[in-house]
Amino acid sequence: MALYIVEADCISCGDCEPVCPTNSITEGAVVFKIDKKTCTECEGDFDVPQCVKVCPIDNCILPLEA
Amino acid sequence: MNSQATLSRELALRIGLAARALPDTDAKRLLSALTDCIGLPITEEKIAGLNLNSLKNASAGQFLNVDEPLLTHALSILKSGLNIPEQQAYIDGDMPGSVRIACASNDGINVDGHFGSCAQFMIYQVSADEARLIDIRHTGIPDDLDVEDKNVFRAELIQDCQVLYIASVGGPAAAKIVKLGIHPIKLPAINPIAEIVEQLQSVIAGTPPPWLAKVMGIEASDRFRFEREATG
Repeated sequence: MALYIVEADCISCGDCEPVCPTNSITEGAVVFKIDKKTCTECEGDFDVPQCVKVCPIDNCILPLEA
Repeated sequence: MNSQATLSRELALRIGLAARALPDTDAKRLLSALTDCIGLPITEEKIAGLNLNSLKNASAGQFLNVDEPLLTHALSILKSGLNIPEQQAYIDGDMPGSVRIACASNDGINVDGHFGSCAQFMIYQVSADEARLIDIRHTGIPDDLDVEDKNVFRAELIQDCQVLYIASVGGPAAAKIVKLGIHPIKLPAINPIAEIVEQLQSVIAGTPPPWLAKVMGIEASDRFRFEREATG
């Protein structure tokens, strides 16, 4: 389980990067991206995914379909 | 008569403001360029007859390298002062690959307005190689209109714009702007609209970020693709 950032919606504000408890978010060539291997959707750390909480755009960070 | 050679106060002010709109130009430089191109005394009539090319080629072409929108802007200040920037007609479809922006402004020249209190929104249609001031929307609420939320009224005023530039905006107001599908951009300092427009043009001409390409209506498949990075 992991989250991903919708490329067409991300505005590269960078707000999500510092709040990630597993440091899974980095700035990519186009927009920010989430490392699906390390993203835990914040389980064990927080009740809700922190990146989704701080993201200013609706539906920009979504769960990756398995 | 001596007064023939003196500049009217109003005209002198406009020359000063126009010089400020040009890069590395003070009033003295612009004044000498004007003297060179229309001769003394500088009068209202002669200024009115000035066009872009004559200004460009003044003093052996010293403004040749200045970007055209800046020169056009300076010329409009020379002719009519700060208050009445030149508006141009626009019909949908005129400028393919363009984006419509609103700039919160009090003076009509700079993005110096707070979203909730600015006097007007300057509406520009901007493409890679063209920019037109297509409308000026004043923010006064008509007497006969019962407005419940001032910020919603203001956001609806610029509903047709994809991007909004402001000097500042409050959080709840920003949410109302976003809700109408407008992308607000708060600038870190007060910038001339001409500069913002120019910056945007270079972004459009290059590789617009995906969100901008999306609001401009460029299909995802037509967007420039970066090589996919391996995410594992």
